[in-house]
Amino acid sequence: MNQTGLHGTALRLHKTLARIWAPDPGWRGWLTTSNNNDIGRLFLCVATAFFVIGGLLAMLIRAQLATPGSAFMGPEAYNQVFTMHGTVMMFLFAIPFFEAMSMLLLPGMLGTRDLAFPRLGAYGLWVYIFGGTAVIIAMLMGLAPDGGWFMYPPLTSAAFSPGLGADVWLLGITSIEVSAIATAVEVVVTVLRYRAAGMSLSRMPIFAWYILVVSVMILTAFPPMILGSLLLEVERALDWPFFQVENGGDPLLWQHLFWLFGHPEVYIIFLPAAGMIATILPVMARTTLLGYGWVVAAAISLAVLSFGLWVHHMFTTGIPHLGLAFFSAASTLVAVPTSVMIFSWIGTLWKGRVRMELPMLWLIGFFATFVIGGLTGVMLAIVPFNWQVHDTHFVVAHLHYVLIGGYVFPMIAAVYFFQPLLTGRSSFFRLGGVAFWLVVPAFHVTFLAVHVAGLLGQRRRTWTYNEGQGWEVLNLVASVASFVMAIGFALVILDIAINTFAGLRGRRNQWNATTLEWAAANPSPNYGFASIPVVRGRYPLLKDPDLALRIAKGEGYLADTSRNRRETLIVATTTGEPSQVVVLPGNSILPFLLAVVTSTSFLAPLFKAYWLSGLALVGVIILALIWVWRLAPARTEGLVDAGHGSQLPIASETADPPGWWGSLFLLLADGVHFGSLLFGYAFLWTVAPNWPPPTYLSPELWPVVLAVGGAVALALAPRLMLRGIERGRVWPMLLMGAIGTLALGAAAASVMLARPDPASHAFDATLWLLAGHVAFHAALTLIMLGYLGLRRIAGHSLRVGEARIVGLWADFTAATSLLALGAAWLPGAFG
Amino acid sequence: MSNILRLSLPFTVWIIGFCAVYALQGIACSRHWPPGLDPRTALIAAAALFTAIQGLVLWRIIAAPSRTSFVQATATILGAAALGAALWTSLPVLSLTVCS
Repeated sequence: MNQTGLHGTALRLHKTLARIWAPDPGWRGWLTTSNNNDIGRLFLCVATAFFVIGGLLAMLIRAQLATPGSAFMGPEAYNQVFTMHGTVMMFLFAIPFFEAMSMLLLPGMLGTRDLAFPRLGAYGLWVYIFGGTAVIIAMLMGLAPDGGWFMYPPLTSAAFSPGLGADVWLLGITSIEVSAIATAVEVVVTVLRYRAAGMSLSRMPIFAWYILVVSVMILTAFPPMILGSLLLEVERALDWPFFQVENGGDPLLWQHLFWLFGHPEVYIIFLPAAGMIATILPVMARTTLLGYGWVVAAAISLAVLSFGLWVHHMFTTGIPHLGLAFFSAASTLVAVPTSVMIFSWIGTLWKGRVRMELPMLWLIGFFATFVIGGLTGVMLAIVPFNWQVHDTHFVVAHLHYVLIGGYVFPMIAAVYFFQPLLTGRSSFFRLGGVAFWLVVPAFHVTFLAVHVAGLLGQRRRTWTYNEGQGWEVLNLVASVASFVMAIGFALVILDIAINTFAGLRGRRNQWNATTLEWAAANPSPNYGFASIPVVRGRYPLLKDPDLALRIAKGEGYLADTSRNRRETLIVATTTGEPSQVVVLPGNSILPFLLAVVTSTSFLAPLFKAYWLSGLALVGVIILALIWVWRLAPARTEGLVDAGHGSQLPIASETADPPGWWGSLFLLLADGVHFGSLLFGYAFLWTVAPNWPPPTYLSPELWPVVLAVGGAVALALAPRLMLRGIERGRVWPMLLMGAIGTLALGAAAASVMLARPDPASHAFDATLWLLAGHVAFHAALTLIMLGYLGLRRIAGHSLRVGEARIVGLWADFTAATSLLALGAAWLPGAFG
Repeated sequence: MSNILRLSLPFTVWIIGFCAVYALQGIACSRHWPPGLDPRTALIAAAALFTAIQGLVLWRIIAAPSRTSFVQATATILGAAALGAALWTSLPVLSLTVCS
């Protein structure tokens, strides 16, 4: 074929794919799109808006603290402002911003056309927007929470924080965490399965490793926080005394649950930024990353180590010395993997030839700032020093060095670096350099002064201070510098906005980067790649500069558009061998509607409209059923031509469809949630002052028989169903599973009926939660079995993959139900 | 999947061991501890057990290598690092009293 013919082929392919992947026209397109480009851009814009709001709140704080005895704000307003500043920055900006960047960049980096569950991404976006907006609206109405971003009870209990503020925080933030978990599931499955042909684990871009680790962290760190929020909200609304000492509760339980989330949260925020650094730095140094394997190992070890540090936020709560020493030792350990990363990056700079472009400038800002933040972190890990500076401005300065230096600066570098890829335009206006020289020096002036004020004893979360304590000059300097920093950040946003709309059209891959995302057109079209690339190295464009052209010509996989649907490739996790073709869903209003009802079910309790919350929950179930019903094809296709002479199965017809992987990781989060519940129970049992309760719950024969029989039936039913599918006989197994769920539900109900007053003691309240866990999961599994039954009635053939997904949930329900009910009966059985 | 497990296992064992020893200390200092059992001995035994398991994990990684050299190398680094972490975080058990 001659050159003109080749270009004609490429153009036809592009036009067909653009039509298949196009969003709906007009404004409706924004509500129905599920494409990663659209969702990522929306996520990015909304997260930036929240960053601006959080920044304005920070300016209010600094204005108040600029002078002693300031009358700018009263204590009530100040409490709301600093609470909202922390909440907005941590929950509404930091996590959604990197999720947005991941959504935008990951498919390109991995050589796939979209993320694993596009509609789940859209659902996560809308839940985040509704939850975040509710929190901001509450603030504007004067109903903001005021208990600090970590919301310690008893300060945040109904007795000391009446009104809606704390409820807004607990319900709004929980809904945002649900959104984060949805996105994390999507990202994990994408990284593990949705990659270019030949992209083995060792060839994955380093950012994909980081984001895989972070997503698993989200799945394991957020559930304790969700449980904590649930407990506190239930205590506030229904007076179940989880944190009330007089009724068997303990406020320290909240601190454990919160920091089980809160400390990993710091690394959840830092590691994506580290992934960006490891991606950008080698390009800026015109070389490859030094010690790729070591960096991967450092990211994994840092992620797990971060779960062993939570008590270092509780050093002043009266923990025995041995406990303090455990967590002090673990806290100092994190310096090791962090240093491995830092030295890898320094080594990369050392072996390369650095070009001092704007992204590199911000990365230098990162090095100068984060290393200081890390070192003050090691200081805080040392118990005697921690006691001295606990709850002072030293801690405030430390966390800002880590979070702004370790997250915001690298993310600004990333935005500048990827701007040509995301917008197709290069930087023309040079405000970015000016902004850098405003932000970074001003940041250091601000927070070095705050460090010193903290060392001199200035307490955090205190609305004012008196003259004559030596803090006046430090606070004034910090406040003035913080306003300069804010001007700098405003210039960054302005610069990026101007360049996005009015920058010069840039050439493809202007940085000469070597990873796959730069092989796509700039800006990347909705389908990403015209064909799925074949990868033969870690830096595909380094060894194969013509790869982009060959992808565009359709020389990769899945260049055949005759099936007229959104398709991409699934590969074997380790080797990257093509193994399945997955059909991705098109535009739909369902994610938006599901987000509306989910948010309603979360937010209705704010107005004591529990009936509306229940009604919305029913809506969630109905819409979710419609969602999965429409995704499951009625007919079987068999093998399809994937290109390169390979015939591959359609993913939904295999034994391990993406839904199975998604369920596996969702159940990981669910399992951690359940584990946190058992931890809370054990904590109260062993530590809470007013324990044991007046009486324990004694197990009786029939409930025990129901629990054991139900669990066995539920575990067996899907296994037998797998055999039944081959023989076309599944009804007895469905019935068996249904009976199992009903038996478990009955056993759970017996626990509730035996202890009818959960408000009487923390033990009774915990029993209700354990029984509630069993009842909820039994109902969920029953709905799944019912769904399979409906598919059968509709004449659809049941698939092994579907049965295995239900089997996962059934096994989880059976196992955790036995554990939950066993835990409820255990103390009574042994007196 | 086995390669993913190979990479995630060493530090998963570390965090389980770390939390288990801390939980054991919590129980030792509560009213539920059996009177005849010396809590310090129990804690040292638990820490030693988890360190031994950590060593076993490293040994298994080396003795039954992955077919993927990258996974093998990274898992070995992680196994050795997790063993080091286990030894480091066990030190307080040897040097401090349990409940003071």
